[in-house]
Amino acid sequence: MDGAASAAAAGAPVPAKPVRRRLPPRLAAALLLVGLALLPGLVGLLPGMPDPMEQDLLALNMPPDAAHPLGTDHLGRDVLARLAAGTWLTLPTGIGGTLLAAGLGAGIGMLALTLGGVVAGAAYAAFDLLRVLPGTLLALLTAVVLGNGVWPVTLALGLAYAPLFAEVVRTAHAREMASDYVAAARVFGLGRLAVLWRHVLPNLLGPLITLSAIVLPRCIVTESVLSFLGLGVSPERPSWGRMIADASGFVEDAPHAVLAPMLALSALTLGLSLLGEMARRRADPLRREGRP
Amino acid sequence: MKGVLVIGGALLRAVGLVAAIAIVVFLLLRTVPGDVVDVMAAQGDLNAAQQAALRAELGLDGGLLHQFGHWAAALSSGQLGQSLRFGRPVAEMVATALPVTLGFAAMAFALGLVLAMALAIGAVLLPRSMLPGLVEAINLWSIAMPTFVAGMGAILVFSLWLGWLPVIGNLPVPVVILGLDIAGQLAKPLLEELREAMAAPHVRTARAKGLHPVRIALAHVLPAALPVLLALSSVTLAGLIGGTMTMEALFGLPGLGSLVLNAVHGRDLPVVQAVVLVLAVGVVAINAGADALRRLADPRLTS
Repeated sequence: MDGAASAAAAGAPVPAKPVRRRLPPRLAAALLLVGLALLPGLVGLLPGMPDPMEQDLLALNMPPDAAHPLGTDHLGRDVLARLAAGTWLTLPTGIGGTLLAAGLGAGIGMLALTLGGVVAGAAYAAFDLLRVLPGTLLALLTAVVLGNGVWPVTLALGLAYAPLFAEVVRTAHAREMASDYVAAARVFGLGRLAVLWRHVLPNLLGPLITLSAIVLPRCIVTESVLSFLGLGVSPERPSWGRMIADASGFVEDAPHAVLAPMLALSALTLGLSLLGEMARRRADPLRREGRP
Repeated sequence: MKGVLVIGGALLRAVGLVAAIAIVVFLLLRTVPGDVVDVMAAQGDLNAAQQAALRAELGLDGGLLHQFGHWAAALSSGQLGQSLRFGRPVAEMVATALPVTLGFAAMAFALGLVLAMALAIGAVLLPRSMLPGLVEAINLWSIAMPTFVAGMGAILVFSLWLGWLPVIGNLPVPVVILGLDIAGQLAKPLLEELREAMAAPHVRTARAKGLHPVRIALAHVLPAALPVLLALSSVTLAGLIGGTMTMEALFGLPGLGSLVLNAVHGRDLPVVQAVVLVLAVGVVAINAGADALRRLADPRLTS
């Protein structure tokens, strides 16, 4: 559509040879946002970067200059280096939380549904319980019980988002088990497990991948909220949420130290959310048709 | 009669959930090494006999079941224990903080609900306007923009660059930020539901009768979307707890969020336990209430 519009604007006839497919603008924008957000993380991998923990008490709250491209924070630490270090904390934790949620929700959900009866009831009652406890409360509990660290946060994220996956599994399972081809397969004598493996699981994969794409940005947001509240990975290790919390006391002197992680975080979550939304629309053609 | 059954069922489920949460919270916090008496002993000097006496008094000397019974008995008479750090009854601290949180959350939710309904109804009535796009945009905003980042941005813009208002303790700014977030979560699903409801035969009849589009939207379409709106609202309200906590921390509001965060950082376990329980009860109550209302509003769900 975009290509046709620009061709018409240029007054050119529609070319006879196949038009080179362009990236849809939404996809391009999403990829650009994610790329921009991850850029500091990539720059941080270059040799010669300053230590994100190193304090320079003679250069507190310095605005961006040649030595410190994004300036320094209230302890004279290089903001770019901290942003880079934060990328490699926030991103893996978010991805880990999403994978754990998918594994817990889909794995336990699938297992419980296969066993059926009381087990399925109990498992889904547990998921209901998790759904009632808001993610922040879960993280609060894991932070108190297990202390600060990568694993407690990942566990909290996994537990908080597992019910979503379990629900998707339950819906898809019910739909597939009621379908004619599953009935046919059972008639041909295929066992319960074989039906699940050969017929239900392949049909589950799509929805699960789509849901992961939707959950990932939420996990990243939740992780940064937790770090912001001091419930995150560690008060010492730089994460984006922690950087915002730390620098928030010095916004007057060093707005750049707050702005840098804020922009990185919003760009990453916005880009990933756009991608997730596109994945959902692709996976759900009925819904797409219903749209204007 | 049916209504009583519906409400009774919801109530029963809610009580079961609260009991389950109470047990889980109790067990989880028992796994934390050290108890109240250890902490007190570390602060002051209590000899072994005094420690044992105190444990007996607090019901900490028995097994898990005994402890739980003691705790539950105290709980049912409204006692939430003593704060380790401040020595005040936890119930008192919760009672001081609760109105702040409730008022704040209620205002934000009301704003979000009104905004979402206005946007969604407007978008359904004027599909060619920019309103549907606005619904999309606000939905994306609520997903991608964490409230604390928006709050931080507001602090930067309003108080530092424009010099308008003192931000700490300020109420309108966090209410607007959280309200926008809620509106974003509600508006889009509501719009989709309204669009579906617009296609129903009775709406066509109403149109053929020559009713005004606004009247059709309010009297014929909105009621059909009500159950969905209720379901969405209960989910959003539960999620509101996280948003309220961050807003309280950021804007220095003395609510439950600030209370529990300080308690976590000071390892004031009785306070953590009490606040988590109070919040969980709140979420369960909201869910049960919304569920009962939804079943009453949508007869198809009870059959």
